[in-house]
Amino acid sequence: MTFQTVAVLIAALLSAAANAQSDVDPGTVRADQSLIASPPPMFTFGGFGTFGEVHSSRHDGDYTSTSLKPNGAGYSHNWSSDVDSLIAGQITANFSSQWSAVVQVVSEQDYENSYRPSLEWANVKYKFDADFDVRIGRTPLDTVMSNETRKLGYANPWVRPPLEVYDLVPVIRNDGLDLSYRHLVGPGTNTLHLAVGRSDSDLPLLPGTVGVIHGRKQLILTELYEQGFASARVNYSRANVTINGLEPPFDTFNAFGPAGAAIAANYSFDNHVVNIYAVGASYDPENWFVMAEWGHIQAGSFTGNNTGWYVSGGYRIHGFTPYLTYAAATTSTTTQPAGLNVAALPPSLAPAATALNAELDFQLASIRAQHTISAGTRWDFARNVALKFQLDHTRVDAGAHAVNQDLQPGFPTGGTLNLISVSIDFVF
Amino acid sequence: MTLTIRTAFIPILLSVTLVHGAAAGEVVAVVSAKSHIGPLSKSQVADIFLGRVNRFPDGGIAIPIDQREGSDARNLFYEDYAGKSPAQIKAFWSKIVFTGRGQPPKSVANEGELKKLIAANPAAIGYIDAAQVDATVRVVP
Repeated sequence: MTFQTVAVLIAALLSAAANAQSDVDPGTVRADQSLIASPPPMFTFGGFGTFGEVHSSRHDGDYTSTSLKPNGAGYSHNWSSDVDSLIAGQITANFSSQWSAVVQVVSEQDYENSYRPSLEWANVKYKFDADFDVRIGRTPLDTVMSNETRKLGYANPWVRPPLEVYDLVPVIRNDGLDLSYRHLVGPGTNTLHLAVGRSDSDLPLLPGTVGVIHGRKQLILTELYEQGFASARVNYSRANVTINGLEPPFDTFNAFGPAGAAIAANYSFDNHVVNIYAVGASYDPENWFVMAEWGHIQAGSFTGNNTGWYVSGGYRIHGFTPYLTYAAATTSTTTQPAGLNVAALPPSLAPAATALNAELDFQLASIRAQHTISAGTRWDFARNVALKFQLDHTRVDAGAHAVNQDLQPGFPTGGTLNLISVSIDFVF
Repeated sequence: MTLTIRTAFIPILLSVTLVHGAAAGEVVAVVSAKSHIGPLSKSQVADIFLGRVNRFPDGGIAIPIDQREGSDARNLFYEDYAGKSPAQIKAFWSKIVFTGRGQPPKSVANEGELKKLIAANPAAIGYIDAAQVDATVRVVP
């Protein structure tokens, strides 16, 4: 299903539902609607956004908030507004107490460095009853705890969620079917969420090249339990993933006989089964909060088998919410493999083999392996607007890159990265 | 882009209006005088307003009705019943609205309109200043 087919499908469903609505006899409107003096508005409009500026201590490469962005703070900009800034608008249509639809459009820096608005989600929802609904169309892919609200800065305590966990899975959309079932369990509420579908995400690779992450047979299963101030969730997701755009360097290994072919096969990303596991919990009583999350992705190939976790806490005092976060990312993938045995090759082939080995090491160094401590504060200084200030200090493991875009020749692995971020988040 | 974003900070900062919780009377949860629901704890009332449950403990449908955003009664109610500031409530509903999972309760402009709605609908639940309670509504025990 392409963007266009999704959009056409949604439009068709919207107009069908709108026509169906006009046929409804007012007397048959369900009790829970007739109780309200004036019926809820058919369409509601809202939106949210962030204006943010980020400064990085590294000038030999660009820090970005997701691997789907091509450049950011550091080499390209001393202070970058591209890392966090965005604006989103959403229209919700309520056709009846059972049928509704939502379309959300987001404008932010995209893979080709434009702010062309893109369709974030667009789906039609049918409520079987107040606790059970199905959505068809484009819905959020909720692998890790707040993946679906990672762009909604106003709802999050931080300038941006810890990338150690949130960049494990850059894909955030699911085109397909999504079921949600809620029921009371003891003193709490349990929500079971199942989604199936597919996705296509454009991915900037080296400068000037663009790839696509194709997710097929996506399955997302989430179990959420909420009781009072506490919530906990467990998630399992899987997909058959193909990444297009990286073939040239890896295909070249095939020219080096069986040893080269083995390397090419090892790092192919064609219909590859990816499994994701995530566990998260939060406790948010009146004046403070603490939350923690752990995620693991088994993707293999050049994106690796990686684990990320964080613990974050904050305290609310007179409109200010200072917070502290510790996050870590590790990988069990060998990031500096042996590659081709250059010494065993004819001298005429040695330079090409050395270059290929370096290319492979460079690609694998983009797997995140680091520890970050972040300190910041949120200030709710006016209604529906929050100002945030955040400092990040990251220690990068040997063999991993501190940032992943616009790396300049000789960019080292390991080292440290410091960031200063200021942002204003708003909802309307 | 950088320039426009920097200049955009200025008017927003100039329009700073500090959020304050005005000291007013006590706010109580109310249902219709015709309602037969039993006692509810503050956290059970909060769960209904936060969309976590949609039924009263006796199984009847519960329809929460909010006061106007920014009103003293609303701010006091969520502070007292849910332990949340207006910004936390806004953030809470933003998460639900902007992921397409739901909509916040319907809100009414003033306490008079709220009392009229509550009085007429045994399923409705709202909150008003304790001094405004009259024979048409019943304070949730």
